[in-house]
Order: sequence, then C-alpha cells, then structure tokens
Amino acid sequence: MNRKLTWILLFGVATLFTQCKDSGDEVEADDENELITSVTLTFTEVGTGTVTTFAYKDPDGDGGNAPTKFDTISLKANTSYTLTPAFLDESKTPVDDITAEINEKADEHLLVYTPSPATLLTYTYGDKDEDGYPIGLKGTAKTAQAGIGKLKVQLRHQPDTKNGTPAPGSDDVNIDFNLIVK
Amino acid sequence: MLMKNYFLLFLLFFASFMAYGQNTSCACFIKGIVRDQHSGQPIAGATVLLTGTTNGVFTDDKGRYEIRDLCPGSYQLEARIVGYSAYKQTLDLTAGHEENFTLQEQEVHLKDVEITAKRTDAPSSQPLTTLSGNDLEQTRGQTLGESLKGISGVTSMQTGSSISKPVIHGLHSNRVLIMNNGVRQEGQQWGSEHAPEIDPFVATRLSVIKGAAGVRYGSDAIGGVILVEPEELPFDKPLSGEINLVGFTNGRQGVASSTLQGGIKGLFGFGWRAQGTIKRGGNIRTPNYFLDNTGINEKNFSFGAGYHHKGFGVDLFYSRFDTKIGIFSGSHIGSITDLLNVINNGEPFVKSGFDYKIGRPNQNVTHDLLKAEVHYNFQDGNRLQWTIAQQVNNRNEYDLHVPRNDSIAALNHPELTFKLNTLTNDLIWDHKPIAGKISGQVGVTTLYQYNLMTGRPLIPNFNQFNIGAFWIERYVKNNWEFEAGIRYDYRTLSTYRIVNRIKRSNHFDFHNGSGTIGATRNFTNHLSAKLNTGTAWRAPNVSELFSDGVHHGAAAFEKGDSTLHPEKALNTIASIKYASEKLTVEIGGYFNYIKDFIYLKPQQEPILTVRGAFPYFKYTQTDASFKGVDMSVAWQFVKNTTVTSKLSYLKAYDTRNENYLVMIPANRWDNQLRHEIPQLGNLHHLFLSVGNLWVARQKRVPPNSDFLPPPSAYSLWNIQAGGTIHLSDKQQLEIGLSVQNLFNTVYRDYMNRFRYYSDDIGRNASLRIKWKFGA
Repeated sequence: MNRKLTWILLFGVATLFTQCKDSGDEVEADDENELITSVTLTFTEVGTGTVTTFAYKDPDGDGGNAPTKFDTISLKANTSYTLTPAFLDESKTPVDDITAEINEKADEHLLVYTPSPATLLTYTYGDKDEDGYPIGLKGTAKTAQAGIGKLKVQLRHQPDTKNGTPAPGSDDVNIDFNLIVK
Repeated sequence: MLMKNYFLLFLLFFASFMAYGQNTSCACFIKGIVRDQHSGQPIAGATVLLTGTTNGVFTDDKGRYEIRDLCPGSYQLEARIVGYSAYKQTLDLTAGHEENFTLQEQEVHLKDVEITAKRTDAPSSQPLTTLSGNDLEQTRGQTLGESLKGISGVTSMQTGSSISKPVIHGLHSNRVLIMNNGVRQEGQQWGSEHAPEIDPFVATRLSVIKGAAGVRYGSDAIGGVILVEPEELPFDKPLSGEINLVGFTNGRQGVASSTLQGGIKGLFGFGWRAQGTIKRGGNIRTPNYFLDNTGINEKNFSFGAGYHHKGFGVDLFYSRFDTKIGIFSGSHIGSITDLLNVINNGEPFVKSGFDYKIGRPNQNVTHDLLKAEVHYNFQDGNRLQWTIAQQVNNRNEYDLHVPRNDSIAALNHPELTFKLNTLTNDLIWDHKPIAGKISGQVGVTTLYQYNLMTGRPLIPNFNQFNIGAFWIERYVKNNWEFEAGIRYDYRTLSTYRIVNRIKRSNHFDFHNGSGTIGATRNFTNHLSAKLNTGTAWRAPNVSELFSDGVHHGAAAFEKGDSTLHPEKALNTIASIKYASEKLTVEIGGYFNYIKDFIYLKPQQEPILTVRGAFPYFKYTQTDASFKGVDMSVAWQFVKNTTVTSKLSYLKAYDTRNENYLVMIPANRWDNQLRHEIPQLGNLHHLFLSVGNLWVARQKRVPPNSDFLPPPSAYSLWNIQAGGTIHLSDKQQLEIGLSVQNLFNTVYRDYMNRFRYYSDDIGRNASLRIKWKFGA
C-alpha cells in the first residue's frame, strides 16, 4: 500500500504545477464582428448640384479612442437637397461597405431622420423596399427658415418586423448631428 | 479545489441497552467506537460529550470512547470531530427492568453507541444551512439559484426566470464560491447573466455557508460558499434508483431525471452511480402576456464510481451539463432611446404566443467536469487526500441579429464564445490529534486556468495560476469548540488582447494572506451560540480589469481599470440558536466590511458611440459595509402544525462616498403554515402548506443611478401538498403538488435585470412524482 501511495503522491505533486496551454498564442482579431465606424451624410443641392458632406467617425468602434470626427451639418435656408447616407466599417481591411449590405437587406432596415426643432427640415423618402416600405438610402431634405438644432440619424434594424414605422426593432445607429440652417 | 468532503453520515446504533433498576446510583456508562462511514476506519481524537454537562472524552487511537459514572437520566450525546459534521443523539439512561441480570455493579447502566460520522470541511463556527430531504424535493426541477432561495439570507440575481445566480448576504458572482462535488466550480462567474452550470439533481444536499469562508475553500469566498453534495456512493449495496418527473404549467416545462446506483456483485468495495436529467420548456408567461423566446432545453448526465478497501479509497466522477437558454427577444436594445421607449411603454413591444422554439438571442453552455479523488487513512489517525479535477466550460452567446453579410451570417457563429479550461489540485492532510485534544488539517491547492474567447471583444484571453496553502486547527473542550485557520495565496494572471489590430499583453501578480477565528458554545441541550471573524480577499477579475464596451443588457458603457488592486474583507458573523422539539429559533447577525470593494461607478459624462450616448460606468474601488440580520423561527403550536417565519434584512453602504450601493437585494419576509398527517392508510408524511413571501421595495439606492426606480414591494402566495405512498418494502412513490404565485400577481423584482422590459413570471403550478426503488 505504501508504494502505491508514494506513486500517487509523486504524480499528485507533479500535477500541482502542471501548465496546459498558453492562451496568448490564440488571440486574434475578430473579422466576423460587424461594426459601423463611420456615418457620412452627403447633401447635394438640387439645381446647382453643389455637394457637401458631413461625417461621424470612430475608427476603433465603441470605447477605446473617442470619435475622431463629428461634423456640424451646415445647410442653406429654404433649399432642397438630395440626401445620401453612407455607412462603413473601417476597422476591417479591406473596409467593409455597410451601405451595400443595408441595400441588399432593405426589407430589414429603415433609416429615420428626425430634425429638432421639427420645423428646421423636412425629409421625404425617395426609395422603397420590395414590400413597398421606405428605406431612406435615397431621399430629399428640404430646409425651412434659418435656425439651429439637431438632426437625429437612426438606422433601425427590423428583421421580420419592418412595417414602415420606426417602432419595431432596435438601433444600429443613433447619432445626433448638430444642424445649422442659415 | 477540495475534496470529496461529504461523507456519509450516520449513526449505527447497537441497541445493546442494558439498564438495571435495582441500582440507581451513578454508575451508568456509555461506550462505543467512532468511525468514518466512508472508510469504516476508527477516528482517533474525536470528542464525545454529553451536552449540558462537563462530561467529555476523546477517542483513543482505536476510536474508542467511554463515559463513566453517569446518573440515570436523559442525555444528549454529541460527537465532534474536526472535519466532520457534529452528531447529536438523545439517550435514555433511565432506570430499567432487567433485574435478572447479574453483572458487575459498575456496568449497571450501559449504552453502547457506535457513531459513524460524516466528513465535512465546513467551518463549525459559521452558520451552515442545508437543504435536503423534503425541503430539497420541493425545489426539484428548478435551477440551482432558484432552489436556494428558501434559505434566509440567500436571494438570487436574475435575467428573466431561466437565468438565476445565488446571492448570499448581498454578494454574488466572483464573491460566492460554489463547490460542486468537492470541486471549485469554474465558469464565467463574472457575468450577471452567467448562471452556475450545475444540475441540482446531482445533489442530495445543498448547503450554504454564510460569511467569509476563504481559509478552507479559497480566498475569494467573501460572501459565502455553496456546497453541492451528492450522496456517498453505494459501496457493496444492492441496485437501487429513482425516477423523478416534474411538470410546470408555466412554460409548459417538463423535467425528467433518473438515477441508478449500486455495488458490484463479487467485487468487494465497489460502488457506482449513473444519473441523467432532461429539461424542456417553452415561452414563460407573465400574468398578462407571454415572453417571446424564453424557452430552455437542457440535457445533463453524470457518472461516478469508487473503490475503497481498508483505509484506501478512490473515487471518479464525470459530469456534463448542457443547456440552451432563450433570452427574451424584447430585451435587446440598441440605444438608450430603445430602452426608454420600452420603459415608457410599460410592457414589451414584442408580442408572442407560446412556443418551444429557441431562436436568437440565446446562450448555449456546456460544462464538463472530470474528477479523481484518492485518500488514505493511516492507522495512527493521519489522513491524506488528493483531488484532481479538470473542467471545461464552453459558453456560446448568440445575439438577436445575424450579421448583415450573408456569407458570415451563413456560418451562424455565436457572436461571443468563451472556452475556459481549469485544472485544480488539492492535497490535504488531516493530521493525527495532538495531545489528544487538537485536531486539524493542512492543505495545498492549485488552480491552473486558461480562457480563450472569440467574437465581439469583451474580455481578453488569459492564463491564470493560483497556489494556496492553508492550515486549520480545532480544539474542543466540554461545551466549547474553538477553531482558527490561516491561508496564503499567490496568483499570477497574464492577459492577451487585440487593441487596434495589435496584440497587447499584461501581467499581474497578486498575493495575500487570510485568516479565520471562531468559537461555538453549547449552553444547554437546546441553546447554542457561534461567533466567527474571518478575512478574505479577492483579486480583480478580467472583466473588472479590461471591460471596454456597451453592456447591452444594462444599457451602460462599462470600462475596466487595469490598475485595480485586490479587495479585502473582514467579516464577523454571530448566531444564536434555540432548538427544542416544538420550537426552533435561529438569529444571526453579520457585519462584512470590504475595503477597496470593486464596483461600477457612474461617471459624469456619457460616452458617445455610433448608437448614441450611453451612461458611462467605470470599475472603481471604494469601502463598503454589509450589515444584516437573518432570522428564522419554526413553531409547532398545535400537534403536526408548524408555522415557519424567515426574515432577511440587509443594509449595504458605500462608506467612502457615503452613499448606497446598487443591486443590493431588498429585505424580505417569508412565512409558511404547514400541517402534516404522519400516516393515513398506505399514505405517509402527508402535508399541506400555505405560504407567503413579502419582498420590500429597495429604498436604499444611490440617487440618479438608474433608468427606473426600484419596483414596488410585492407579496406572493403559494400552496403545496404532497405525500408518500409505500408501494412495497422496497418501492415508494412521492407525489408533490404546488402552485407558485397563486393569485397571478403582477410584480417586478429589483434583482431581475428584465425588470426594465417586462413583468416577472405569473402563476406556475407544478406536479412532482418521484419513484424510488431498491434500497
């Protein structure tokens, strides 16, 4: 019995200090995780065709470094613009074009533009998905009189629940641009 | 980490009771042998005493004891052994009638009692509450966290009704240790929605040690320890088993669990047990609506086998836990706007009917445990035990939305995967009694662990190594029992993560000592008191060091701090217990002071993300105090009718910032009225009970710390009935019926994360059937 015990003890002491694996070798960047790191709004003045763009950029995603760019939208009063948004994931190489993916899955997405005060700007959807509901990748923004406020841009993710209203689903983008109409 | 600390308990009792009426002088005596039930070996150095008297003796090296010169009367015999549960037995040494015997005068009143003791490592001076037998039966089918809620001072932190984490005296997660079959459970404990990966059907006893029990179980047991203990293997016993069937109306949940066990014919010293559980449930219903995607699907099994011969014993155990839990789809929010909309709506936007299907979001968790335990009892009273265990915890979390990119979505990978691999070793030496009065144990425990995570970055990969050594001594004299212990731990932690596509590693070393000192005093047969003071410490975990992102369940941006240092606790706990046939009263008070308590501190400025601004919380340290009282009373005021009342009161305070703390369970009061009919024809132990649980509103919260004030107080009624039918000598059927939330009361609980989104679970009736056969 004592010899058996000695062997057991020896084995026991050996395993007390056993190390198995180094988790440091296995750490790798995740390329499946989808981020939206930049939101760009392109306003093209109807008539003149003058293009202005305003962007929000946070290249490393949530946390880490603060957003590197958050423009104030500056528009002329009483003017019509076509509004085209663009969404990118710049944390990936090559850069992932989220706009194209929204377009492909238009029946699961809705863009919502909410000015405050509401009188600053009127948005009219210029596109429809296969079910006839608006998307918001194309549209017209018509400014009213000069003023200062905000423009909230929301990308609503609504798989299987899209009904043309903002209520279903959840936000993939929800940012408030400062807006100056002059 | 530990060993196989449960041992069978028991008391075999040779009723060779001889009392002689013709001599009423004080010449009675009691003698016997104290043995370990598992090994059958005599235990030297056990204290055997008669409570309320000054008579107490130690067993000799053959485990024998003898108490002489007793007057006839009724005595309570108590055996106390270090590392074993205390054993109590009432004896009658009354004047007898065996006048025909002519024995020596001094052997006139004799009782020969053999005591077979059950090993336990629980500290004797700390309150220990055990659920077993009928109390445990009534919780069958529920999760571990739910099962423990009936113990005063124990509550739960929930994510809906299927994810429940035990909370002891206001502390949870990494501050509460779970010992599963003698092995320290290692999962992703840090997460509020990460429930213990344990099938309660494995256990025949669930015990809670309240207060810091770090010296024996690991320095981080600041709040307490939960012991999940199966029965001793049935060495050399005939085949036996049980089948449990439980059905719940809410979620239309069914649970089936069965156990088969026995020895092996012709092979002396063997025992085995196989056990398995299947659970399937669908959408949970609140009083007014169903909760979409709240089903559960669980399959667990375990197998144990052991051999023991003379002082040697070996035990093997394997268990697998596999669960898939649907997470209420209405709890997914993208931004604060989403959350505020749900709160303002008062009920979820997502409507649903009943369905068993589990879609996204969900979590799929498996936990495998393989354990081997070897022990040897030396002739001279020394005992050596070694336990080695490997655990593999695999957690996959699926978000509500699949990736937009079709080719990635087609892979259907979880958005979060954690693989935690843990190897623990424990070497414990119970030394032979010193001078016949002091017993104790010395141990070394190690833990090696690595974590691999893929998906949305949340916590880093890490390697962790921990070594701890402890030494506990116990001294028993007459009606006093003292214990003291010290421990030292050293831990290294290396973390690896990707920041801006570059690999970063950090290295941490933590080490510290901890200690415990306590005393138990038995005043009379009925009255006893305990006092214990202990220290414990806990190194910050990886989520506290490195979190950096939005916690979508809490709608908060949480940021870790890699400069955090360990938190240290000083815990004092005192209790007094009166127990008689008709009345049991236990009152316990505790004061747990935690220096450098790690918590999430709200920051002034919100943090901006592409989904809007989120409230910003940073892991910070402060000093906190947890003061409370647990009280329980059971009074049999009429024959067979008992009223039970349990009260838990807790006040937690941030003493450095002079403010309250968040997520502290509200005070509660649990009352039960129970009537029993011992026998009615073939029916045994019939009972009917009516109960009420009242939970106060948590008024002690820091101002402006939450999106929603704590919910109102609530009161829930329940009824239970049950009994046992003896089918034959070797077969019995136990049946139980119960209805929880009898009046379908609408309520929300402060400790349930889903209180923002929906009401809590509605009425739930259940039927339990247990068929036992064999032994």
